[in-house]
Amino acid sequence: MALSSFLKCLRRPFFWSIIRPLVCLYVSKERNRPFTLWVEFLCWIFKEAWKREKPVIWTNSFFPVEFIYGLGAIPFLPEIFSALVAYFDWTRGPISKGSLKTSTDLCSFYRCALGLKEYEVMPKPDLIISCSQICDGTKAFYQTMSESLGIPHLFVDVPFQKDENAKRYVKSQLEEIFHEAKNILGLKTSLEDLGKSFDMAKRTESLMREIAHLRKSKPAPFPGSEGMSYVSGMSFWALGSERGLAFFEALKERIEKLVKERRGYLKEERFRVLWLHHIRPYYPNPIMEFLKKKGVAIAYEEANYPWWPERGGEDPLEDLTEKLLSNPWYGPIEGRLKLVRDLVLEYQIDGVIHFSHWGCRQSTGGASIVGEMVKSMGIPYLILPGDGADPDNYSPGQTLTRLQAFIELMERRWRFTRG
Amino acid sequence: MALYAGIDVGSRTTKALLLNDEGEIISYHVLFTGADPKGASFRCLKECLKEIGKSLKDIEMIVSTGYGRKLVNFATKEYTEITCHARGAGFYFPQVRMVIDIGGQDSKVIALEDGMVLDFIMNDKCAAGTGRFLEVMAQTLEMSLEELAKEASRAKQAVPISSMCTVFAESEVISLIAEGISREKIVWGLHLAIAKRIASMAKRLPQGRPIVFTGGVAKNKGMVRALEEVLGEKLLVPPDPQIVGALGAALLARDLKDEGNRLNHHRTD
Repeated sequence: MALSSFLKCLRRPFFWSIIRPLVCLYVSKERNRPFTLWVEFLCWIFKEAWKREKPVIWTNSFFPVEFIYGLGAIPFLPEIFSALVAYFDWTRGPISKGSLKTSTDLCSFYRCALGLKEYEVMPKPDLIISCSQICDGTKAFYQTMSESLGIPHLFVDVPFQKDENAKRYVKSQLEEIFHEAKNILGLKTSLEDLGKSFDMAKRTESLMREIAHLRKSKPAPFPGSEGMSYVSGMSFWALGSERGLAFFEALKERIEKLVKERRGYLKEERFRVLWLHHIRPYYPNPIMEFLKKKGVAIAYEEANYPWWPERGGEDPLEDLTEKLLSNPWYGPIEGRLKLVRDLVLEYQIDGVIHFSHWGCRQSTGGASIVGEMVKSMGIPYLILPGDGADPDNYSPGQTLTRLQAFIELMERRWRFTRG
Repeated sequence: MALYAGIDVGSRTTKALLLNDEGEIISYHVLFTGADPKGASFRCLKECLKEIGKSLKDIEMIVSTGYGRKLVNFATKEYTEITCHARGAGFYFPQVRMVIDIGGQDSKVIALEDGMVLDFIMNDKCAAGTGRFLEVMAQTLEMSLEELAKEASRAKQAVPISSMCTVFAESEVISLIAEGISREKIVWGLHLAIAKRIASMAKRLPQGRPIVFTGGVAKNKGMVRALEEVLGEKLLVPPDPQIVGALGAALLARDLKDEGNRLNHHRTD
């Protein structure tokens, strides 16, 4: 009864209006302005999505969300919503419900979202737009949602090739989707409107690049654990919005200050680690605290690498095409290998942890090949099996033993190389 | 005489071992861990000391390892089984390049270079390919572990076992018994199935030789035979493979002497 009343509250825009200042006041005690802005953004987006004054579009993490802001719609990202639910340790029920409808091999974020749909805690979409990158489960998940909700689904098929044909193919799909979405939603958006959101995204991306550069500093000024939670949450969900721009301005300001003061986020930084994979376990777990205690800084995470080229700004859809086609996690593994190699060198990395999320093919499928390359650079490498959303797929003892052995390996290597 | 202790708190057994200043093994003891790993570690260490007529005050450093390593609150430091087995194996065979450790709860393969851990791989969170797996199979076949090992060491034929999940493998074994398949074939099939699983883990690491086999399961001659057959080479097995983790821990405790750490004796009282 209490749960159903609580769920009812979540569906009311008024609830989010009331809770927004209270929650922001509470989290502002931590004196982490970017985090406060993230919380504020979530309250705003949930309020707007439940209010339904603007159309709501469900989309996947790797579809450029600035396109949806440009259309004049409110984006809703079920995958990130699942991560948020995991943060509150409430995924068991939804995952169990979602698993009744699909294979338990499917990524737990999607299974969780399938279950969350049953609880009706996600605002119903007016349209679904998704793209083929990078998660393998994306198309099937959104098509299932489209059929069960009776909502149209527009899909961008991004090819593995990155040649002129591929450019034409992707751009024509974006043009088609732009017009189709306008027709379905009855919007009067012009390409110039799209340009405004893209301009906002361009300014935000420039901040993201500056942040990526600042984070090369020693000691590591910003924790990768936060990078993989609300920072990547904002880059997936808020790019192209004013709130996204304000968030990255605040984040840059914070990191810049720490770098100037030569302050690391750890008391004593013993090792610098690169975290591979776009996610980490979001339910309560001791992994990040364990690394922190051992003096292991997650200096950078591939989740936040701004991979796409700077936008020209003249043709928004051309820029978007470039962004989609330059994704290093999609297509031949060589792109990702180059990225990891560059990150290891630029961030002065002592060890690489590849989180191997259960059911994730596109990332863990290449984990061994990436490992071979990292090891050939003389850098210790650990594949850490686990699950980002399902706490029942996580074994604390085994995970901590693997991590501790990895740290011991780095320690011995450090002693050996320094005599 | 200063003593250095290593305590390996495994899921099935707890092992304690004492070294002297010269790095010689003075005594060791093995007992079942049971439901009180912390108590077991203390009792095990006490037994070692009793054997040589020494007390806790004679111990300079203690290193704990194994899944219950964090529970040994009187230890100076804790290391993972990976580091400890690598170190312990190197004590007996300094040229070691790969260690296969099959314990009660998990199995690991460790690649070494110049005595240092280069890389490692652990089994999944299930009991497949571990000592516990063999224990359950022995119970299903109504044999003791010793009988199981003896049968495997002389078996000539095997029946393929496809399930590595302990629960499913148990049902598979029951079905095979019902089909009238001989115990010899089932036992050898089980050992080969584990050996293949371990070999596939080993193949994912740098292929250094020689290979040392450690952990309680290395006492099973049938398992040594199965691994040698699958890997196609002779394995080196320490005199008592079960205590290699505790030995590695004791050697690391001895190393700590130089690092200036001192045991806080009052915590052991």
